[in-house]
Amino acid sequence: MSTPIMSHLVLGYPSLSESILTAEAYIAAGCAILELQIPFSHPTADGPVITQACREAVEKNNISVDDCLGALADIRTRFPEQEIIVMSYLNRVFTYGLPNFCQQLRKLDIRHLIVPDLPVDSPQAVTIQNNGITLVPVLAANVSTERLKKLLDRDFDFYYLMSDFKITGSTFSLHPRLEAVIQQIRATQPAARIGIGFGISTKEHVQLVTSTVDYAIIGSTFIKAKMDGNLGQVMGALTAA
Amino acid sequence: MQIIETETTYKSAILNGKGHFGPYGGCYVPEVLMPALEEMAQAFEEIQHDPIFLKEFQDTLNEISGRPTAFTPLPRISKRLGGAMLYMKNEGLNHTGAHKINHCIGQALLAKRLGKQRIIAETGAGQHGYATAAVCARLGLDCTVYMGRKDYERQRPNVYWMELLGSKVVPVDDGSQTLNDAVIAAFKDWVANPESFYLLGSAVGPHPFPAMNTFFQKIVGEEIREQCLNMAGKLPDYCIACVGGGSNAMGIFYNFLDEASVSLIGVEAGGKGTKPGEHASKLKRGVEGIFEGYHSYFLQDGTGNIAATHSVSAGLDYCGVSPILAWLSDEGRIQFENASDEEALNAVQSIAREEGFIIALESAHGFAHAFKLAPTLSKEQVIVINASGRGEKDLFITMRHFQEESLLTYAKHLLNT
Repeated sequence: MSTPIMSHLVLGYPSLSESILTAEAYIAAGCAILELQIPFSHPTADGPVITQACREAVEKNNISVDDCLGALADIRTRFPEQEIIVMSYLNRVFTYGLPNFCQQLRKLDIRHLIVPDLPVDSPQAVTIQNNGITLVPVLAANVSTERLKKLLDRDFDFYYLMSDFKITGSTFSLHPRLEAVIQQIRATQPAARIGIGFGISTKEHVQLVTSTVDYAIIGSTFIKAKMDGNLGQVMGALTAA
Repeated sequence: MQIIETETTYKSAILNGKGHFGPYGGCYVPEVLMPALEEMAQAFEEIQHDPIFLKEFQDTLNEISGRPTAFTPLPRISKRLGGAMLYMKNEGLNHTGAHKINHCIGQALLAKRLGKQRIIAETGAGQHGYATAAVCARLGLDCTVYMGRKDYERQRPNVYWMELLGSKVVPVDDGSQTLNDAVIAAFKDWVANPESFYLLGSAVGPHPFPAMNTFFQKIVGEEIREQCLNMAGKLPDYCIACVGGGSNAMGIFYNFLDEASVSLIGVEAGGKGTKPGEHASKLKRGVEGIFEGYHSYFLQDGTGNIAATHSVSAGLDYCGVSPILAWLSDEGRIQFENASDEEALNAVQSIAREEGFIIALESAHGFAHAFKLAPTLSKEQVIVINASGRGEKDLFITMRHFQEESLLTYAKHLLNT
């Protein structure tokens, strides 16, 4: 029985093998989607918790993109049905080579990629789409009706909404204009899935978010719990029916 | 010489409103920042053809920063070197001590035009932050400046000036605690407050910043054209500028880009060696990447992570470089060279002793290269160097290098009184 949570972690934190174990724990708790982040030295849109995890993965563990692809392959072999979305800042996958990276993802039956610093209509985004990977637009309440209409005309099928104007791991709040954004997506693309993330840290937040969209996206809360050594407890509280 | 403004010239291509310079440039930011950048780009397009805005910009430059800045021959040093005649464009005479105020005034007037109340800025050594704080105080804008903890500690006088001017200075504890981390912290503030105006400090970042800061800095080259014709009777044969992000370089180079007779040389920080982490030479040793909103050359670790940099001058100690310079480097229009920490320090001393000016360590990199070039040229040739800033801010760095004992004595005196 899956729970409508997309749970995030940084690959290679605190080590590559431990991040794989955490992914397994997410799967065991019934999380519908895994969002697995390739660590980057300078995560420009993340808060202190994910930044810290990235730094340790990069500086201490020297995690490469190939290391991440290896971990993804390991998880995929044992969980062939699990939905996985990969997240990376642009420079790491740009340097790796976008067509090659997309090909590796497709081999692992991974269909979606989140690149927070890549506008989904830029030349590199076109390269990604042309190589069979669907980008997940990360939108906020200030997306204009016209801009959203333009995005909805394209082939996206999953939308990641920022709960409010903030970085990851901030205090939770839901921007009042998000409702209009959700309505516009639903009206044009009824089949598209929507998740809301940034700041979700309690069962109440999860319930509030999943009463209007498909998934609650949780990152910093789980990573912080992992740092504090109480991931099992926190995950239990957030995923309990 | 009449320049026909068509798409085929470098100058018109840079300001064509698209923000792409060959393969470089672009606008690589989270979607949440797109409305703010689109609004800024739109306003930038408008002001370029708005005589009222342009007059206000020019009047403000003249009134608060004393433009035009001096164009100064360097006869003693030219004679010693025994080649070309050297001149310097003294941008250090600007209010707050460097060329930075040119783009700060331009951007702050643009922010006011958009009805913005709050300014966000990043700073490395504190020069851009200091200029931003001064302009915000003057225009009555609320100002928050992000500064890496390391820079905050080692550039405390500039922190004090910014605070005295009413700005909030926030030390950043992330990463290497330098400029790069300050830029990221400023971007995060902007994500959380997209109604604020990000006043960026160089010709880097997402569109429209590289073109916009070039536009606000091009006054430097315009003044040089007129001053050089008057004083030397000809256009420069060479223009030289130091290159960190590239704002002072674009300022001096832009006006001459379409004239093949003017050679343009950018000088990057050679630091103390050629190994990663020992220098800040992006165009010589960096690789293509996309970071902090733009596509350009960056110093990286080979696997897509951003590498550490080093320069004795904080203003050049940065991992990226203007996408416009990246393109003009590929095109062969601008030549890029290096000067080491040691060469820059020596240039500061030469200009002080032989010409009577204390130049900034950043600018000294350009002078260091000019000293190598001048003896290879004839006496009829003219080299113009952009003295982008004055050197008083470097007091504790240069004093430690030249007179460490007196610095220690002075520090003890301060502590005991």
